Amino acid sequence: METEEQARTRFQSELEFIQCLANPNYLNFLAQRGFLRERPFINYLKYLLYWKEPEYAKFLKYPHCLHMLELLQYEHFRKELVNAQCAKFIDEQQLLHWQHYSRKRTRLQQALAEQQQQAQQPPHGNATAK
Amino acid sequence: MASAAEKSTKERLLAVVEDLEVLSRELIEMLALSRSQKLLQTGEDVQVLQLLVQRDREFQELMEVAQQQGTVHQEMQLLEKEVEKRDSDIQQLQKQLKEAEHILATAVYQAKEKLKSIDKARKGSISSEEIIKYAHRISASNAVCAPLNWVPGDPRRPYPTDLEMRSGMLGHMANMPTNGVNGHLPGDALAAGRLPDVLTPHYPWQSSDVSVGMLPPHHGNDFGLEPPGHNKENEDDVEAMSTDSSSSSSDSD
Repeated sequence: METEEQARTRFQSELEFIQCLANPNYLNFLAQRGFLRERPFINYLKYLLYWKEPEYAKFLKYPHCLHMLELLQYEHFRKELVNAQCAKFIDEQQLLHWQHYSRKRTRLQQALAEQQQQAQQPPHGNATAK
Repeated sequence: MASAAEKSTKERLLAVVEDLEVLSRELIEMLALSRSQKLLQTGEDVQVLQLLVQRDREFQELMEVAQQQGTVHQEMQLLEKEVEKRDSDIQQLQKQLKEAEHILATAVYQAKEKLKSIDKARKGSISSEEIIKYAHRISASNAVCAPLNWVPGDPRRPYPTDLEMRSGMLGHMANMPTNGVNGHLPGDALAAGRLPDVLTPHYPWQSSDVSVGMLPPHHGNDFGLEPPGHNKENEDDVEAMSTDSSSSSSDSD
């Protein structure tokens, strides 16, 4: 039986650990040291799935970790993570996805600006078109 | 029904008619003979006449029988028609019943599906305020959306960086020297089970504002045992990440 203090500590450490899984370099590190092959570790990863529940998920600051955790349930993924290229690929894709919304927003803003420009031009009369 | 020995009315009628024919022919021959020969047969003509009369009577009886049979046959036909009509009615009702049953089954099934989805939705319901709060939390810290002024070279990432990891509770729990890219080993933290030094977490991702009262699910502390349930070894579900895929980091803009 663990005390409440111990349980809280465990909560915090598991919260930190699961969010570390969002870092593909860390995953590569774990894979290369053989942790992803150990049965207890695999069972631990399955246990960590409880963070998907809303009452736990609301504490996660880096939600990418949940997706990584889901992928880590598959043996194929765990095996592939040993390669540094794989980790690099994941990292690049993750960054691109991360930038997706800001890029979309800038594009929308640009489109809006263009629209406003075009809307302003005709009321200015027979000005020579650009 | 009629035994093999009993003849049908038609046969009997025909037999009687033949007899009549034979008898009348005999009688006529006898008459013709007696006229030419002027001889009286001893009672033969009377016999023949009697036989004739008898056969005629039989004939009449048989005709009546035949008539009765005819009426009965007609009635039978009428009844058969009625039966046919009723049969088709029953079949029609059967078809309609089947259709109705089918429609009801579909309706019931769809209603059940609706109820299931209602239950599911109710289970997963979260207050909109909480969702908005959480969305704000993860967006404001740039955890899910890159900062608008981000350029390659910016150290910020959508995951905790080495520095953040090492300065966390786990980073301080592990006493092993940092090697490689990342510092701490999870095995240590678990195996140690000892309380860490009391450190003020520097980053909000390590502690939670409301961690008081929030406890992780209990586990037997022994992950060496096989947990119940299936393992996701299904290769079909996983997109194969080939290691020799060409780097596709080029910006699509």
